[in-house]
Amino acid sequence: MWSGLFFGLGSDGTISANKMSLKIIGERTSLYTQGYFEYDSKKSGSMTVSHLRICDKPIRSTYRIVEADFIAVHDEKFFHTRDVLSAAKEGAILLVNTVREKEKFFSALPPSVQDTIFKIKLKVFLINAYAVAASMGLGRRINTIMQVCFFKLTPFLTIDEALEALKSHIEQTWGRRGREIVMRNVAGLELALAALEQLDYSQISREQTSGKLATTGENDFVSKVTIPLLRGMGDSLPVSTFPPDGSWPTGTAKLEKRQLATQIPVWQSELCVQCNFCVMICPHAAIRSKIVAPSEIKDPPENFSSLPVQFSEELASYHFVLAVAPEDCTGCGLCIEVCPARDRKMPKRKALVPQDFHTTLGPAKAEWEYFLSLPSVPVREIPPDRRTLVLREPLFEFPGACAGCGETPYIRLLTQLFGDHLVIANATGCSSIYGANLPTTPYTKNNEGQGPAWANSLFEDNAEFGFGISLALAQKEREAFEKLRLLKDKIPPSLWHKVHEKGVGDLWAWQRRKAIQELALYLRDIGEESDFLNSLLPKSVWIIGGDGWAYDIGYGGLDHVLASRQKINILVLDTEVYSNTGGQASKATPLGAAAKFASSGKRTRKKDLGLLAMSYGHVYVAQIALQANSKHAVECFLEAASYPGPSLLLAHCPCIAHGYDLRLSPQQQKRAIASGMWPLYRYNPLLVEKGETPLILDSGKPTLDVAQYMENESRFTMVQLRDPEEYEKLIEMARLAVKQRYAYYEQLSHIHLPKES
Amino acid sequence: MPDLSTTWLGFPLKNPLVIGASPVGKSIRSCLEAEEKGAAAIVLHSLFEEQLVHEQMGAHYYIDTLTDMDAETRSVFPQSAIFPLDGAAYLRHIEKLKQKLTIPLIASLNGTTPGGWLSYAKSMASAGCDALELNLYEVATDEQKSSQYLEDQQLEIVSSVISAVSIPVNVKLSPFYTSLPYFVRRLYECGVQGVSVFNRYYQSDINPLTLEVDRHLHLSSSAELPLRLHALAILSSKMGLFYACTGGIHSGYDMAKAILAGAHVTQVVSAVLAKGFSVIEKFLQELKEYMLQMGYESIHEMRGVMNLSSVADPHSYERLNYAQMLAAWKLPLSP
Repeated sequence: MWSGLFFGLGSDGTISANKMSLKIIGERTSLYTQGYFEYDSKKSGSMTVSHLRICDKPIRSTYRIVEADFIAVHDEKFFHTRDVLSAAKEGAILLVNTVREKEKFFSALPPSVQDTIFKIKLKVFLINAYAVAASMGLGRRINTIMQVCFFKLTPFLTIDEALEALKSHIEQTWGRRGREIVMRNVAGLELALAALEQLDYSQISREQTSGKLATTGENDFVSKVTIPLLRGMGDSLPVSTFPPDGSWPTGTAKLEKRQLATQIPVWQSELCVQCNFCVMICPHAAIRSKIVAPSEIKDPPENFSSLPVQFSEELASYHFVLAVAPEDCTGCGLCIEVCPARDRKMPKRKALVPQDFHTTLGPAKAEWEYFLSLPSVPVREIPPDRRTLVLREPLFEFPGACAGCGETPYIRLLTQLFGDHLVIANATGCSSIYGANLPTTPYTKNNEGQGPAWANSLFEDNAEFGFGISLALAQKEREAFEKLRLLKDKIPPSLWHKVHEKGVGDLWAWQRRKAIQELALYLRDIGEESDFLNSLLPKSVWIIGGDGWAYDIGYGGLDHVLASRQKINILVLDTEVYSNTGGQASKATPLGAAAKFASSGKRTRKKDLGLLAMSYGHVYVAQIALQANSKHAVECFLEAASYPGPSLLLAHCPCIAHGYDLRLSPQQQKRAIASGMWPLYRYNPLLVEKGETPLILDSGKPTLDVAQYMENESRFTMVQLRDPEEYEKLIEMARLAVKQRYAYYEQLSHIHLPKES
Repeated sequence: MPDLSTTWLGFPLKNPLVIGASPVGKSIRSCLEAEEKGAAAIVLHSLFEEQLVHEQMGAHYYIDTLTDMDAETRSVFPQSAIFPLDGAAYLRHIEKLKQKLTIPLIASLNGTTPGGWLSYAKSMASAGCDALELNLYEVATDEQKSSQYLEDQQLEIVSSVISAVSIPVNVKLSPFYTSLPYFVRRLYECGVQGVSVFNRYYQSDINPLTLEVDRHLHLSSSAELPLRLHALAILSSKMGLFYACTGGIHSGYDMAKAILAGAHVTQVVSAVLAKGFSVIEKFLQELKEYMLQMGYESIHEMRGVMNLSSVADPHSYERLNYAQMLAAWKLPLSP
């Protein structure tokens, strides 16, 4: 029995290539084959493990491979994160995709890996598959390149037979989509064979070794549970190590250091205009800015820069600093895209410049660590707007979401607004996956140990789940106030007043928390019980989920919650498709878009969830688009949070399922707004009492033809390619839908409703 | 009544107004409307080989890299094979249009590789188009490639297409040849049936405030016509090809001018895009009125009467009265 283990990056094509290899061997030889494939739940940079068995007798092994003749490591960083050689047999073949030169490869391996290679005499073969793929214009898709190397290094087929089989499979798989893909993949096969080389490590002196396995100085739980799980050793942990109530520590995504980017942004401070657009848009909170006192900047790393604050006279004596978390950045390029500052003598140079990851890592890491150590000027007293808000510490960082994700910036922003007293009920979907990619979570806490509390119940009951949390907290608060009322005579009026002050936002939360602490001490001093005061600590409850939840599966519950007059906030991350399960159409999918279950283009209009909510009359509703208009998004977040009843924020989220380069999402989102496909508006029932119209159309009349919005996304152009005539009809229908919707909203925006009083 | 009929690329046409390569060709409905309003032939929008490559690689990137991401997301888009790429949609479009149109349909192609030109040209011919327009759109940016080299390459492509298809081949030219008559003579010798003068280009403009390059295709105006008239007057006097004037036709009088200079047909695009299909009837009416006024009984009769060999003063085409014009120009003087 021959056994092979393949460690691949999700989306590099390793699994489909391995499935194809098994088919080829099964069909062209008399051998039996077996494959088992492991995935993880990260949306970017996930790891896959393929277990392949090949034998001349039927295979009845129903367990994972524990002794391998062949180990393929399709990305060398796995040497640092997983024990990829634990199953290697003596003398096994190790095939590695590496960007390093042959001479430098070995010394860059962790010492434990070097030891294993020496000890069990592995035969090591190297290939720079990324370089081969890039030279053929295939990006980072290295599957056929690694696959032909596998055939070259194994005895199942001669290389000529293998090449012939691979070519015919490539033709079969992609032939219908055009000759270019076939041609490039076929050419890649020959190039791969030429680039494959064996590494002779017998002469390498062991003193040269320099690599280190990442270690952490974290607490017990993290080292006993989190780290083994991250290293892929979860199956070896006893059940008793897991928390019985299902609660997990926060602030753990930062331990992962996934190193996904090939290029990272480097700050050119002399060009920076301190607009903070880059910080606002970053899906992974991997680029941050801070305001610091110049006196705090002591012994900075080489090239560390800071600038006097330009955007506020009050802060002019402080300095603005910006830094990138190099190992947590996914390299999506959004920050560079939105940067408005260009070098007037070299316009391609902006205030953020992409640079090679490996050469920049050292200095960038030093700058990042130094940045984290710098104490920020207290920013909670600065009035929040789109620029100053992102100076606050995000309590959501480095999620496993896709590079360029359009959802995560909204959640990060939410934690910058209310993070230290935030309670989130999260529907199942992308946001629950990257929200709790066990064993880590991107939700984290500040220096005082405060941060969001987060839980995911199910898909269909999230609104009820969050509503229940909110009701329970309100009830406990009422009971606590009731207890407090009995003590009124014993409490100084000023303290009484402070504890009862109503408000919203983190400044209020901070003041309330201080007041509670003060009151607790006071009560203790006078010999009264004070534990019940915990129920008076500030909380901001948010119900979060995607469009699949809000428009479809959880709609009944959502509607029920909106129908209440309870103070509750709802954030819908609308990607207009079931993103997490692979792009099925939802009722939020726009007319004309292709999605699973609507492959010839959706023929019905997007459900107008906002309008349905407005019909109650007591619900605050806003439609926002952070990538294109962060100022508006911030204003709506603040209004929603301070609104006394239910609020519904509908957030436009660019997604990989839209089929375009998400680096361009700010421009594309602007088109969505300008075409009327995603109008920005606010419906604020409080305005009725002021004698104003409750609906404000913030984005005005559409100025762009919907066709010009649609032509930039593959979900629409797929329909066009399939049937241009039908597509034309759909465009007409979409145009009409936009016109009718605008006409309707336009009229509503002029209606003065009778006041309650 | 004057006879508006003409012949182009061997096809008898009811009049000399042809819809040029443009977004009009993309929609079956607008092609049918153009025919109904009186257009005599339609040139489809160009199929760009680079666009097809871009499309295929785009699909490869956006569809195939999003497979096997995780156990829940095995893929993000509907089964990809049902979306035809590599020009299949264009070919099907030709087939559908041919079933519905009675006027000649000319497909337009811009290749980037010799293999690409050839195979797409063959597929277009077998899809049923009546003729091919080869769009020799090329922006020279490489200082190592001589004009001779580039022209030889273009001629090689054109002759390989001609030998591979049996339908007429028309070539759409740019104005940027050192000797346009020489290049057209070589095309003529290759077996080309006609040429269209001239292609219009995306003009790269600069936004001085954002320091970005703006690319827009502005609609043409009648001001662009004289360059075409001049070329037609010279070419039509030298070689017996079919000539199409494209760019700058904004009235029946503009059509008349082009025909007088030697054009068999005039291709109209910007006017239709700006004002709709009603301009077709209007232009034809204006052309008729002009012919009545001048006493021309047919297009055939008036065609080329102002070309280099017929015009009273050929000198005016050859040096364009350049020195005289310059001398007559008065500079605005400061007070």
